[in-house]
Amino acid sequence: MFNLFSLSWRNIWRHRGRSLMTAGAVGLAVFFTLVYLSFLGAMENGIYNNLTASVGHLQVRVEGYREKREFRDLLIPNAAQVEARLATQTQASRVVALEIPALVAGETRSRGVLLIGDQRPPELRERFVKQSLVEGRLPEAGDLDSIALGASLARALKVRLGDAVYVYAPGTEGRGAGAYRLVGLLRFPDPAIEARSAYLALAAAQELAAPGSATRIELHFPFTRYSQDAQLDTVQPALAASLGPGLSLESWREASPAIAQIFNLLTPLVLIFAAIFFGLAGLLVVNTIYLGLLERTREFGVIVALGAGPGQVTRMVVLESLLLCSSGALVGGLLGLLTIAALSGGFSLEALYGEVGSVFGLPEKVYLSLRAWDIPITLAYTLLTGLLAAWWPARVAARLEPVEAMRFTA
Amino acid sequence: MTPVLQVKELTKVYRVDTVETPALRGVSLEVHPGEFIALAGPSGSGKSTLLHLMGGLDKPTSGEVWLGGQRIDGLSKAQLSNLRLWNVGFVFQAYNLIPVLTALENAAFVLELRDEPREVRESKALQALETLGMKDLAHRRPNQLSGGQQQRVAVARALAARPKIILADEPTANLDSKTGLALIEHMRTLNREQGVTFVFSTHDPRLLERVDRIVRLEDGQIAA
Repeated sequence: MFNLFSLSWRNIWRHRGRSLMTAGAVGLAVFFTLVYLSFLGAMENGIYNNLTASVGHLQVRVEGYREKREFRDLLIPNAAQVEARLATQTQASRVVALEIPALVAGETRSRGVLLIGDQRPPELRERFVKQSLVEGRLPEAGDLDSIALGASLARALKVRLGDAVYVYAPGTEGRGAGAYRLVGLLRFPDPAIEARSAYLALAAAQELAAPGSATRIELHFPFTRYSQDAQLDTVQPALAASLGPGLSLESWREASPAIAQIFNLLTPLVLIFAAIFFGLAGLLVVNTIYLGLLERTREFGVIVALGAGPGQVTRMVVLESLLLCSSGALVGGLLGLLTIAALSGGFSLEALYGEVGSVFGLPEKVYLSLRAWDIPITLAYTLLTGLLAAWWPARVAARLEPVEAMRFTA
Repeated sequence: MTPVLQVKELTKVYRVDTVETPALRGVSLEVHPGEFIALAGPSGSGKSTLLHLMGGLDKPTSGEVWLGGQRIDGLSKAQLSNLRLWNVGFVFQAYNLIPVLTALENAAFVLELRDEPREVRESKALQALETLGMKDLAHRRPNQLSGGQQQRVAVARALAARPKIILADEPTANLDSKTGLALIEHMRTLNREQGVTFVFSTHDPRLLERVDRIVRLEDGQIAA
């Protein structure tokens, strides 16, 4: 025995070819939306992880550091105490760094660099080694005699592993100069950064330029997905309040506002594209439903004559539209999910954007995955398409006069 | 006895641009419960228009239509739909079955619109099909049935809903004479055995021998 649901289902398949094409268009819109959303999610997560790995999720800095010009004004005094205080309040991993404008020299050449002395927990050190070290090793914590250089900087200075490297940091508060042994070569995606990067252990950098001080303390949270970033909104104010005067705590968003802005634009952009896909598919649905109505005007006239009210007729038309969209969405959704599952193991985009992508922090490999709201958004688009596409035909159907409709010939 | 349906001084004028065509000119008629009435007359005499107005499918230009003691000519579209759903059964000249539904489902269609439970719908529709000798063909679609069988399903659709009155507009016009007579016999049996009130239009003189009362229409008026 039938009901209005099964009647609508049978009605949409009266013209199998036309309905298949229309459902296919909706299916394609669903497929592309799901894949695009998961790709966007993967890119977001990749960029987020790359970025936060290099600058941390939160950074302690001297208040107003961007406006300060003197090295000494950028120093966080008693960095170890500040770090210890943070350690009591959060489980986040901490990187303490001292950035020093310096001059490094080999036997015959010299270059201006940004010398970084840092101390990072093993998991972050391991990641840094994996990503950036191309030869040798990083200076160990507490090692006062070793230095690692950007590979292109080492070439410019004509130094090799084991050679002596001299560092001058005039106008600072430490020894101001030192001799080190080159123990490691580093590679960075941005050649400009590679040409002016030099790494010491934190203790060595402090001895050279600012005993006991640091210029930043990074906090790294165990977040792997961009969606987890919202947790910072609650953590950040509490930690900032405990820092005391003269220090500020800024998020990666505040540290990299341009990238944060890109993050804000990505999702609306994809949603606009999805709306265009669904809009085009919706036009086909309107066409199919309206043609069906025209072809069945007599039949609708009979249905109204038998006692169907405007509400029931509207429901029949809307149901047909929703079923048409849903059947396409089901197939498109399944194909989309299968594609996402197949690509969830990761695939490289290097062929697409080459090494340039790394400069902009794009991940080398993306792992398609759906975020919590990707499927609800796609379903909402499908539902909205079905409802909007049915609106006009349903309005026409609900206004049919039975006698006129039964005389109608298409 | 209170009439199940009554029309008083009914007129209907169709207007196309500035041209007015009168279809009914002051028709008055009473239909009592259990009657089997034929509206006779040539094409264009107003038979279909009168049936449409009696069943609340259209609104008169003037006059009154009363169904089961309720005046219906001033009701809204939604009220008229509801009134037809619960009180009037229709049989049309062109059968007008829904092609994607089986005979049983077509017979149960009005009950579905009434939101009656599935078991009730099935039972009433089967009973109506059985009465019309169509039970064995209950699961066939309209395109698998002959014209006479389709029209019997259409009568079953009207009958299953147990309305106060069944209005049939030229129900035999698309059938050969033998099949048409058989259909009218079925309707007559229902009228006699179950007391179903029928008003149908026809211009076939052989069918008029089987009715209680003949209402002859000419030029939109009841002929003397």
